[in-house]
Parts: sequence; structure tokens; C-alpha cells
Amino acid sequence: MSPDRLSITFSALSDPTRRAILARLTSGEVSVTELAEPFKMSLPAVCKHLKVLEQAGLITRGREAQWRPCQLEAGPLKDAADWLEHYRRFWEQSFDRLEDYLGEVQGKAKRDGRDDGR
Amino acid sequence: MDATTGVDAQQREREITVTRLFDAPRQLVFQAWTEPDRVARWLGPPGFVIAYCTMDVRPGGAFRLCLRSPSGAEYWRQGVYREVVAPERLVYTFVWSDAAGKPHYETLVTVTFDERGDKTELTLHQSIFKSVAARDEHQGDWSKELQRFAEYLANN
Repeated sequence: MSPDRLSITFSALSDPTRRAILARLTSGEVSVTELAEPFKMSLPAVCKHLKVLEQAGLITRGREAQWRPCQLEAGPLKDAADWLEHYRRFWEQSFDRLEDYLGEVQGKAKRDGRDDGR
Repeated sequence: MDATTGVDAQQREREITVTRLFDAPRQLVFQAWTEPDRVARWLGPPGFVIAYCTMDVRPGGAFRLCLRSPSGAEYWRQGVYREVVAPERLVYTFVWSDAAGKPHYETLVTVTFDERGDKTELTLHQSIFKSVAARDEHQGDWSKELQRFAEYLANN
């Protein structure tokens, strides 16, 4: 996933109501009316959140104009969760190489200047 | 004195922290982070090479580098140094960018170099959601929520 895409996902996830909507959707398809209920929100307000989630690719909505059930999309969420781990792995791998590099240059330094005591 | 505790708890939840004890003096470890010739020797996963690297290591100075994967894909990174306290601490922004230099998502990296006898403990914090969080001012430990989603998705 491109950084741009990821930034859209994170932006969409930064709102607690939208996260709550996603959490609700983990139990399956839900209609907009059902979604609005626990949040004591107007339908247009909920629709606004849904639009953000839909644009971020986090949900998809059914085609039928009236009930248009919302469904969770796995891809971007997974990528976002993976991102933390990707960075950690990036640094862990870099640190392994740094360890080797430091060992190597110090080995050289010791050969060059034989009398450096530790 | 513990430089690694200088991060508030709320911020920490949006960060990854990686710590490693290196069998090398602090000055050398610091140089390995701040001299392009040395950085090129270790930054990135195995098999990646630094295809381009400029670093102006002083507060307000910029760096830009290109990591090339074994398959030839290029990943550009750039940032600006916020704090440079040789050989103890580096703070810099870390931004993905495309080849034209157009910045994407911003993170903040803090690296501390602590002396442990003749070894050096390096601690890296990377705050991941900084720009989004700063813009929306939403708090809460949602990286854990995210993890739960990921678990849910893995099981479905």
C-alpha cells in the first residue's frame, strides 16, 4: 500500500466514532439506521462518517439504494495494523546490520592500532 | 539520568520503541547514524542499498535518502533534524516521499545513545500518528483497537 493510501486510512481511523462504527461492523453487515442507533446521531451525521470510511476503503456499501448495508473491508485495516510491525521490522533488521558494521569497523581499528587496550 | 523516559505516556502509545545494546563506544554509534558513508553500510533490510543520501546534521538541516530494494524498487525518505546533541541524542522528522520530493506521511524519530560501560544502548522511538493526531486532536489508545481489528480479520 502506498504511503498516501495509508495516510488516508490513518486519518479515517483517527476519529472515535468511526472506530466504533468499524467495531460494530466486525459482527457483520449492518444497515445505516442500525448503525446510527447506539451513537444517538442523526442519519446525515452517520452518513458523513460512512462516506469517510468508504473513501478510505475501510468499508463497502451495498448497491440497493434503500438499505445499503455496510460491510467491513479487511485490506486497509490489516495494512494499517501491519504498518507498526513493518517499521519495527525495518529497524530491527537495520540494527542487525549496524551491529555487524560496528563489529567490522572496530575489528579494523584494532588491527590498525594494535595497542588500544580495552 | 534516563533520556528514554522523556516521552509522555500518551505519546508512547502511538510510538514504536526499539532498543538495542551495541558493543561499541557511543561516539562511533553516533557517527554511524550521522555520516552518510557509514549510514549506507547498515540502514535498511538485508540486500537493500542506499542509492542516494545527503545529510545536513544540524538543527533545521535536512536529509534525503533513497533505499533501493534487491528487485530495484526505490523508496525515498526525507526529513529535517529538530535536535542534534552529539553524541547523545537525535530528533528528526521522517517523511516518505516520492522521487520528485513530494512528501507523504510524517513521523517523528527520536534516537538516544546511552553509555553502558564501554557499550552503547540505543533507543529509537518513532511516533507514527503524529500529524494525524495533531490535526484531529483525538486521544485514545487506538493502536490496541487496531490490533484487535487485525486479530479479528485474521480469524475471519
